[in-house]
Amino acid sequence: MRVKVDPDVCQGHTLCNLAAPHVFLLREDDGHAYVAAAEVPPDQEDLVRKAVATCPEGAISIDEAGEAGA
Amino acid sequence: MTTDDRVVIDFDQHSPDYREAYPEISHEIRNQCPAAWSERYGGYWIISGRDLIGEMAKHPDLLSNDHDPLGVRQGYGGVAIPSPVGGTNRGGFLEMDPPEQLEYRHVLNPFLSPAAVERWRPMVRDLTRACLDEVIESGHIDFVDDMANVVPAVLTMGLLGLPLVDWVIYCEPAHAMVYTPPHSPEFSRVLEGAIRMGAHLSEAMVTARTRPRPGMIRALIEAQNSGAAFSDDDIQGTLVLLIGGGFDTTTSLTAHALDWLDRHPAQRGPLASDAALLDTATEEFVRFATPAQGGGRTITRDCEIAGHQFRSGERVWMSYALANHDRDAFDDPDEIVLDRFPNRHAAFGLGVHRCIGSNLARMTFKTMLGEVLARVPEYRCQEGGAVRYEDIGTINGYKHLPADFPAGEREGPPLSDVIAQWQHTLDSAEPAT
Ligand code: SF4
Repeated sequence: MRVKVDPDVCQGHTLCNLAAPHVFLLREDDGHAYVAAAEVPPDQEDLVRKAVATCPEGAISIDEAGEAGA
Repeated sequence: MTTDDRVVIDFDQHSPDYREAYPEISHEIRNQCPAAWSERYGGYWIISGRDLIGEMAKHPDLLSNDHDPLGVRQGYGGVAIPSPVGGTNRGGFLEMDPPEQLEYRHVLNPFLSPAAVERWRPMVRDLTRACLDEVIESGHIDFVDDMANVVPAVLTMGLLGLPLVDWVIYCEPAHAMVYTPPHSPEFSRVLEGAIRMGAHLSEAMVTARTRPRPGMIRALIEAQNSGAAFSDDDIQGTLVLLIGGGFDTTTSLTAHALDWLDRHPAQRGPLASDAALLDTATEEFVRFATPAQGGGRTITRDCEIAGHQFRSGERVWMSYALANHDRDAFDDPDEIVLDRFPNRHAAFGLGVHRCIGSNLARMTFKTMLGEVLARVPEYRCQEGGAVRYEDIGTINGYKHLPADFPAGEREGPPLSDVIAQWQHTLDSAEPAT
């Protein structure tokens, strides 16, 4: 699975970090999110799905088949 | 104007009916239409659907926050519905659109990021403990007057770079401005307090130019000096906004949570001992109560958003409060479920105007709640003692929340000493940014 945060849509609600603190990190200056790595470790995949569902802005997108291609 | 098929409802978020019917009223309104029209206050849309409000928040070009009481731009009414009469000033960057609004946020964001906020936690803890110490021997507390009004107010002084003891100048007027209806007999007294507060802020800005303390005021003035197009009026409007946002919302949130925990005492233990539960519960209390109930916008041109037609100049009430009880987005939205997660609530607003202080609010709330549950875990709210705001349409708040508990012993110095100690600490270091 691959994940990304759209920086134009993210507004720094920080709920992704609450869901998956190892995947979504928060910038020092404004608290907006970025991903630790685009490739999601298998044991984090469920947490990342939760993050997608809880982001109030819909800023996170995942590609379930990320490893194979995209 | 041609007739159209808008759904007209009888709605006024400032009315006693709304106060009594919230949050259940959310379903009735949304069933009629997630974008319904009220004829009050010159007419405005009420947006109550979670998905619709999210979609609309993505279009700051179509929905303007601008407030232009002097009519030098489009004459838009800003974020309050109804717009305040007689004012000349806009409410800081909340009543601006991007890119102007973003310049202010850019200056202030570094004070309010999760990392920056964390540095204030020890002060918030000490202040809360001192507030509880002040009443612990008596066995009585008014959670609002004795704690939840005090801690956020002192903290806001610290962030702004004002003397911490000045919290008393701002506290009463800042709260009273929000809950006193303009037609009430107390309003003129409240207005006087607000004017005093304004005068004090102007003075503080003068002082900040010559003898600046670290903090948001200094940062805004430095930005102005280095070329940002910030007018003195807009800086002052911004300070009033930060005070309003910093004081009243966290106070309300804390009162709601303590009131609910009074009725659900079995939940106190788990909340006190489980940090992860406190995290999700915080989001849930914010969702459920939506302390800042919504925001006004003005449509900038005829447009269609998610199938709804809007006309240029129309006013819109983005009701985060109603959207947070949308059954399509939340299971059992009228229940507080402490471990609800995911929880894509809109209580901090959405889009570019997302509450800039959300991280500060969370930290302050969690600290206050944690200390209450540690020091007076057996508190009982006094029967019939809670006094909610008459008008919850702007802030869904409490004036009073008195409670009793078994008296205990002081653990630390008086509040005034704690404030003085922290002032000393702040003066000898530069903690936040
Ligand atoms: S939850 Fe969404 S908006 Fe919030 S920080 Fe994460 S990605 Fe950004």
